[in-house]
Amino acid sequence: MPSTSVALTPGLASFLKSLKTNPIDTSIDNLISLLKRRQIHHSRSCATATAYLLLRVISACRTTDAAKLIERVQSVGRRLVAAQPREMVVGNIVRRVLGLIRDEAEDDREADFNLSEAGSESQPQTPRALDDPSESMYGRFEGSDRSSSRPPLSQPAPISMFSLLSHPEPELSLPGTPISASPSGRLLGHAPSKDIRAEVLEGVNEIIDELGQVDDQIAAYALDHIHSNEIILTHTSSTTVQKFLLKAAAKRKFTVIHAESYPNNHEATHATISGNSTGDDEILSTESFQKPLIALGITVILIPDSAVFALMSRVNKVILGTHSVLANGGLIASAGTRVIARAAKVHQTPVVVVSGVYKLSPVYPFDFDSLIEYGDASKVISYEDGDLVDQIDVQNPLYDYVPAELIDLYITNLGGHAPSYLYRIVSDHYRKEDISF
Amino acid sequence: MVNPVDPVQTSSPPTSSVLKPATQQSPDMSSQQPQPSTGASKPAKPSKQPKSKDALPTAGGAPAEEKLSPAELKKRAKAEKAARRARERAERDATGGAGATQGPNAASAKRGSTGGAGGKEAPGQPQKGQRHRRGSATLASATEQKKKPEDKSVAVFGHLYGQPRRTTVAGAGKEVHPAVLALGLQMSNYVICGSSARCVATLLAFKRVIEAYTTPLGTSLSRHLTTHLSHQITYLSTCRPLSISQGNAIRALKLEISSIDPSVPEADAKATLSDFIDSFIREKITVADQVIATSAAQKIQDGDVIVTFAGSSIVKQTLLTAHKQGKKFRVSIIDSRPLFEGKNMARTLANAGLEVQYSLVNGISHAIKDATKVFLGAHAMTSNGRLYSRVGTALVAMSAKERAGGVEVPVIVCCETVKFTDRVALDSIVVNEIADADELVPNQPLQQVTGLPGPAAAAAPADPKKGGNKAAPNNPPAESTPVPNGSSPLANWKDTPNLQLLNIMYDVTPAEYVDMVVTEMGSLPPSAVPIVHRMSTNL
Repeated sequence: MPSTSVALTPGLASFLKSLKTNPIDTSIDNLISLLKRRQIHHSRSCATATAYLLLRVISACRTTDAAKLIERVQSVGRRLVAAQPREMVVGNIVRRVLGLIRDEAEDDREADFNLSEAGSESQPQTPRALDDPSESMYGRFEGSDRSSSRPPLSQPAPISMFSLLSHPEPELSLPGTPISASPSGRLLGHAPSKDIRAEVLEGVNEIIDELGQVDDQIAAYALDHIHSNEIILTHTSSTTVQKFLLKAAAKRKFTVIHAESYPNNHEATHATISGNSTGDDEILSTESFQKPLIALGITVILIPDSAVFALMSRVNKVILGTHSVLANGGLIASAGTRVIARAAKVHQTPVVVVSGVYKLSPVYPFDFDSLIEYGDASKVISYEDGDLVDQIDVQNPLYDYVPAELIDLYITNLGGHAPSYLYRIVSDHYRKEDISF
Repeated sequence: MVNPVDPVQTSSPPTSSVLKPATQQSPDMSSQQPQPSTGASKPAKPSKQPKSKDALPTAGGAPAEEKLSPAELKKRAKAEKAARRARERAERDATGGAGATQGPNAASAKRGSTGGAGGKEAPGQPQKGQRHRRGSATLASATEQKKKPEDKSVAVFGHLYGQPRRTTVAGAGKEVHPAVLALGLQMSNYVICGSSARCVATLLAFKRVIEAYTTPLGTSLSRHLTTHLSHQITYLSTCRPLSISQGNAIRALKLEISSIDPSVPEADAKATLSDFIDSFIREKITVADQVIATSAAQKIQDGDVIVTFAGSSIVKQTLLTAHKQGKKFRVSIIDSRPLFEGKNMARTLANAGLEVQYSLVNGISHAIKDATKVFLGAHAMTSNGRLYSRVGTALVAMSAKERAGGVEVPVIVCCETVKFTDRVALDSIVVNEIADADELVPNQPLQQVTGLPGPAAAAAPADPKKGGNKAAPNNPPAESTPVPNGSSPLANWKDTPNLQLLNIMYDVTPAEYVDMVVTEMGSLPPSAVPIVHRMSTNL
């Protein structure tokens, strides 16, 4: 933070700026304090900050060993998660990075294993291997589909490349490698490990790119779900929802009823729908180029949250943003979402949740209350009513747990899914061993 | 709102009549002004039209026009009339639907034309006609025209947008009693809010009206008082649409008035009516509330967590009664924007020593989690057993019926039978009341707290400029406008195309969410509402 010259409010922008100049440990502490103080609180900002921090951690990590790298990321990840355990997105990103490292390490181990096997056995027997390529392919492919990028039939080539690129010694020590290297992959030298780090960094960059594009990818499905003259109800100022609706608005005319989500998000909501954002919200500033829906000729009706039930009988579809999605399909979404989803269910109105895959968490909730965060009570009763604050217990929950049965469809950047299918996506994105890292 | 526009109104006729021949201006003006004031001016118009028509050829001296066939003349007259009507409407719109000076103007014009016929009635009659016109056609068109760029009314609720609420006493009829004038303003400002309170206040005001009333000569009290009261009622309903309880009370009062024998002396009749009003308030509301509070308080047990929504006086009374009985329970109040009625209730209950938890609509699902009972107040109970109450009530009742852990929380409605109605409603769109949408625009209380408007105002323009790198090229004109209006991005929503704000007052809770209705006649299921309503009205 000392390096930032402009008086930026602490948040994602200031963090990313300071990340380049500050030492790693300072940056980690910085993010932890930002998370603790909720100065970063949008799930996407949290995810982006975590991804950039891990990028830095990995690139600064001088270790050559995948296990050490995993350990390092785990320890950083644990601290971040402990700083804000309810911010699932942080854990999700850490898990994905861990998964990346493991994948790469496995790939390399596979490759090494194959290499060493090839080095010891197949060198004299090349013709046989060529005679029966399917068998060797099969053997090599076991347990790893990532190695498909490596040409299977050019077996001599990897060895020659390997020997060319690596130090001259390995060629000498080649006979010894199968014994020592294949189980642990430790004695193999620096070359593969460096490769791991480069590939992991590439992977983390891909995650960061995904975070940047996720809203647009989700919006691409908008035309499948929003049709002419529909009445759509939504809630909060979620940019994902806004982009989704904007995409549809380019082609179709519909009506949006917007519940204002008082008292925690109403200012941002008002700014979003009216298009003149006076807020200094970090996420809005990045999206301030975005036109409001009303500029595209879409009628937007702002209602107080209490009027949701009254209007639900005229609504065709409810589109909700969320804070995070749990493995059972339940949502942790901003407070008020549950009654909206429930009212929609009562009126047989479909509820669609738009969310990036990065919000999908492998956590299975057993105690819902522990996931709920409570906010500033002064937003409910301002200090003008100070006498009341002393006497009564003012509650301002920030999030609701929305059970999966209230939701009809999830739209992620991978497409639309039923709530029952989410566990598959979870298992695609996270490795079992990382679920509780 | 009214006064600044008035000069426009007075000056607009000459400007708009520039298009017409100068000779026609004066007769047209005179014929034009009283026309809206007389309710039955339609047949009069054609008869007047030829007169001014005659004046035109003679003054202009154009012989060609006299050759026109009668059919053509008629056509011309019709076209002219249409043009005049359009102009008239435009003028009326320019005044913004406020008829402060229009009333007197029209009244004087009328008096001038009729030559003071029917002395006492004359000032009243045009007023009434005036109001009717304003209520039906003119005002509706005024709201349309004022928002000419766009209609800000939400289409689904189109049938509920009447005239906007009256906010001043200006333009109110002469015969409206001061007590009623004051009450009207109090109701439109929510100073008197809540179905029972409005009903009681109306009856008390009417009592004073009746006390101050003298029957004019040549008519009887039972006939004339009703029309006199209906002026008051019309005024009240322009301030805020009447509640079901008000309607029921007024109906009962009118029935009582009409049943008075014309031979009864006026003083006696007025005393009878005063007694009737007193006993109505006592029986239907005061005592009824006590009965309901006592019987509902029996439903509260030690250790209960009672959830309630907004500020119902009868629920408050119930909870206080139970507290006085020494029961130990907790109250969770859910409140909503923009009225925050629950705040007062929370204050009263907390002062009485109850344990109170307070949250807004966004906290419903949390508040309901450990609730054992839900107590709700009512604006009305419809004949199909549905609860018509402050908007948001349905959400609370629905959440209570959400099977969380297999346990449903009982929903108990406290409602006097005076709030029962024979109307039916399937959803909240059929029957509702639309309040001023500007109430939803958040005002900025921060400046008041600090007492430093200077820095705050200075910061407001500075902020967008700081972020100007991003936002400024976007909308330079829009940026300059929000600054003087304050911090809310909604401050000038009326000028923002396609943006609508909807502020409905009530919603309808399905009957299946209501387990019990506690009335002064006993505790009933919601399906018993029509039966009880029939019984209580036939009594």
